[in-house]
Amino acid sequence: MPTIEIDGKALDVEKGKMIIEAADAAGIYIPRFCYHEKLSIAANCRMCLVEVEKAPKPLPACATPVVDGMKVFTSSPLAVEAQKGTMEFLLINHPLDCPVCDQGGECPLQDQALGYGKDISRFAEKKRAVDDKDIGPLIETEMTRCIHCTRCVRFGQEVAGIMELGMTGRGEHSEIGTFLGHSVDSELSGNMVDLCPVGALTNKPYRFSARVWELADHAGISPHDCVGANTNIQSVRGRVKRILPRDNESVNQCWLSDRDRYSFEALNSPERLSRPMVRRDGQWREADWETALHQAVSGITGVIENHGADRIGALAAPTSTLEEFYLLQKLMRAMGCHNVDHRLRQQDFRDDDESIMRPWLGCRIEDLGRARAILLVGSNIRKDQPLLGLRVRDAARGGAKIMAINAMDYDFHFDVAHRIIAAASDLPGRLAAVVHAAHEGSEVPSDVAAWAEEAEFEDAAAIASALKDAGEDAVVVLGNAAASHADASVLKSMAQALAQQTGASWGCPSEGNGAAAWVAGCVPHRAVHARPATGAEKPVSNAMEMIDRPLKSYILLNVEPTLDCADGQAAKQAMEGADCVVALTVFDIRDNVDADVMLPVAPYSETSGSYVNCEGRLQSVTGAVAPLGEARPAWKVLRVLGNLLDAEGFDYVTSEDVKNEVAWSQMPILDESPRCGVPAPNARRRPAGALVRIADVPLYRVDALVRRAVSLQLTADNQPAMAQLCAEEAQRVGVEEGDRVSVAGAAAEVSLPVRINDSVPTGSVYIPSAWQATVPLGNSTFVKVSKA
Amino acid sequence: MLSQQSENEIDLEIAKYPAEQKQAAVMAALAIAQREKGWLDEETLDYVARRLEIPAIRVAEVATFYSMYDLEPVGRHKISLCTNISCMLRGSEDIKKYLEDKLSIKPGQTTSDGKFTLKEVECLAACCGAPMMQVDDDYHENLTPQRVDEILDAME
Amino acid sequence: MGASIQHYIKSFFLWELVKGMQVTGRHLFARKITVQYPEEKTPKSPRFRGLHALRRYPNGEERCIACKLCEAVCPALAITIESEERDDGTRRTTRYEIDLFKCIYCGFCEEACPVDSIVETDIHEFHFENRGENIITKEQLLAIGDKYENQIAAARQQDARYR
Repeated sequence: MPTIEIDGKALDVEKGKMIIEAADAAGIYIPRFCYHEKLSIAANCRMCLVEVEKAPKPLPACATPVVDGMKVFTSSPLAVEAQKGTMEFLLINHPLDCPVCDQGGECPLQDQALGYGKDISRFAEKKRAVDDKDIGPLIETEMTRCIHCTRCVRFGQEVAGIMELGMTGRGEHSEIGTFLGHSVDSELSGNMVDLCPVGALTNKPYRFSARVWELADHAGISPHDCVGANTNIQSVRGRVKRILPRDNESVNQCWLSDRDRYSFEALNSPERLSRPMVRRDGQWREADWETALHQAVSGITGVIENHGADRIGALAAPTSTLEEFYLLQKLMRAMGCHNVDHRLRQQDFRDDDESIMRPWLGCRIEDLGRARAILLVGSNIRKDQPLLGLRVRDAARGGAKIMAINAMDYDFHFDVAHRIIAAASDLPGRLAAVVHAAHEGSEVPSDVAAWAEEAEFEDAAAIASALKDAGEDAVVVLGNAAASHADASVLKSMAQALAQQTGASWGCPSEGNGAAAWVAGCVPHRAVHARPATGAEKPVSNAMEMIDRPLKSYILLNVEPTLDCADGQAAKQAMEGADCVVALTVFDIRDNVDADVMLPVAPYSETSGSYVNCEGRLQSVTGAVAPLGEARPAWKVLRVLGNLLDAEGFDYVTSEDVKNEVAWSQMPILDESPRCGVPAPNARRRPAGALVRIADVPLYRVDALVRRAVSLQLTADNQPAMAQLCAEEAQRVGVEEGDRVSVAGAAAEVSLPVRINDSVPTGSVYIPSAWQATVPLGNSTFVKVSKA
Repeated sequence: MLSQQSENEIDLEIAKYPAEQKQAAVMAALAIAQREKGWLDEETLDYVARRLEIPAIRVAEVATFYSMYDLEPVGRHKISLCTNISCMLRGSEDIKKYLEDKLSIKPGQTTSDGKFTLKEVECLAACCGAPMMQVDDDYHENLTPQRVDEILDAME
Repeated sequence: MGASIQHYIKSFFLWELVKGMQVTGRHLFARKITVQYPEEKTPKSPRFRGLHALRRYPNGEERCIACKLCEAVCPALAITIESEERDDGTRRTTRYEIDLFKCIYCGFCEEACPVDSIVETDIHEFHFENRGENIITKEQLLAIGDKYENQIAAARQQDARYR
């Protein structure tokens, strides 16, 4: 281990480290712009020049490896002169517009100019000006400010995995830009704003709305996916202005997905509900809390008296907090009803009785990045959980074999070693083939074998052997498409069989904060900590059954059933047919949901609460800002509802009290449950002439908040509802890109524009869910597509 | 997009590098494409990118860096005048002025008859004979206005 | 002993009183310096710090670019600014309010302003009749600036060489 000396301080440094890393570790400051610990070394800003003994010239600290006996001086006259010289050059073409620059106040160039800049410029010639580029709805550019550190370029190349920005031109004519003025479409593009050391790339929705010194910081957790990314919610005078990542190496590192970063726009949406609303004689009118709560309670008790307690049901959005899940199920169970669920998009509940106590990833998030083999089943991990996608990319860059069994050849940002693309309805068969291959002669469990009749697939053996080779370092991850698959329990059971056979771990993470819902007992068949729910022996309804066998009354917690449930059409009808629908909602949803009472509740930024992420990490935060208008945190609303319904044990003062009741210390250790048997293949054969529908939820349609984040809705990732077909299939139907087709589901027919997308296999059509235009199709697996 | 011969040449270039290092052939591929098309339009850049399986912006970076690639249509003859330090000290500014007056165009422009395109380029590594210019594939050194006249008048 | 006699004599002849009356007498006949305010007024320095104004450029464009430095520097937290991107892409305030009850007329806002937008004029005679009038809005500030621009500009001109 080389011993070096920096500014007279002797340090033991690992071999191969750069001077700047050694200095950072020792707390010695070296100025820099282009160096970033998560990116490759470019050494093009020259700001980190330091003096090294016996070196004739100053050396860049970021690109000079340590050598035993090296003596480094970071603030000797030579070093400081070099740094000052660099700064003078950098400032030659940098505009003096700090007062209107959003980076002003948090700008490394501004800060370091104070330390190393001259107060007067010796440059009397013309400064260069660079045209601004329009690179999409999320990032604003001011390219004259660019100092060409290429952090954004390297981020695209190395971290985000698609190189969209590049540096064109040479010397003074160098410019950062995209090819042909395309937009930057990465699902992680917002991180470039954080990386930019000047104001060249800034946050577009935040533009000019605040200055950094007036922003108040609050720790937050992002609820949109199962990662539980740590955020810093920044607000001014009670209004959230922007969201930044909060470093947590084990969860989100220093990154944040655009969905987590830009969903804040919905918090200030004009659609926010700020006062309770009640509907009387078909007319919506504002009411005070007391009136609204009493109308809600009398509606619910009316249904209980007339139809019985089992005729009410509660649906919670997976983005809710642990406390909200807990109080909702406690309220329902206090009324003698177990119809409470959060698994809105799940269609297959056959393994409910046997499944493990909560959904999880199968390994720690950090371990995913170190895995040696990863099999993705029904998972577009890059878009569904962008930060998990990053870990998979890390693994791939570290030499791991990534394999995929999907209904669609998703555009991943990592190399896929083996892929099996098959119609959604054939996925269990394909996975069975892999299980088959993994057994290599030993006897395949008969329930799996039943699925693997036609079990000879080219890549199946390769996938099985790659998983075996990696042993404990292999993970089988089931994605959102698998969890909402009509045969989800089959996929899960087979993944488990595969894991047991190959030594891999396996997991099927939930949507949003779903893991917390399981912990809190917000599922019909299990109470807190997955203990069997007492009294739930009588028939209880899960999310799907609550919609399919309509109830008389619904309590909705941030749910828009039409868009959030697997079968939106049936959900819509169920709401219309109910006597009393009480919606605890962040937004005014009267156009989407046939509700009777709307109670305004606080979104994630305005309520305290806890989240459990896909690796079981419990994270609690307090509200960042006060609730808007008369909105109240949902846990308080549920507590009052409990009081009004004379339920026992609803005397909480803080959300901490609620959390303590679901105390983590009592949480049993997650152990592998015995594998659930695979149900026999059903005879659901594809009708002649029908296509298999891929019904993935696009990443910016996943919950009520994201759907109202204006800028995210404008991104290229958020294409409106279309029928996407491969060229071959389109030819068969007789349509071209831009034509319209009519798509007939089981119950209804809709007309959609066509897009040619060759990643959709023949025999399938991708029609995204969570768009009003595709709701009438319900959850039909097979659709008929014809030219409109 | 490109003729079969050009495609073959590009394949030959790609074959010089390891299979996962296809991008190494980008400069040669651009040169081949330019020789066939005369200049590189955006479509061609995009094609080369797809051919080498690299992002289009990566190709654009290379194409805009080197002055030898033409991103706009050029005349029958391309005059690349070096104005870097050695040539500048030896009077390239005067040569530039002379060329501008003689051809009535500015650097980056093409004469109205489509015969000459004038380009101001970075060092072409012939400092020993500064000032110098490259006309099509030939270097011309120790330029004076008379030499320039002789060279250009000899052109078709 | 001697001091005590001296003191006795001084007290007896009311010497201190006489001395006081001397001062009174001198000022009784001296030239008066009283200013008959409000009919008469003293001259004011160009650096006088009175009521605030927001200035415009000669082409009528408001100077303020919503950099919020005045808000940041204000020791009395009297300034409240909200900003957004105007249709032409420039950074502008949507709200610029000064609470004149909080303001201590220190002039820091003027010092901080990079575009000479917020200034303190020499107006010091103003009053409020209703609650809430103490908070002056962007429109009022701009109106003051428009009305007294000549005066403001002249004062800045006079002081310019000392800056």
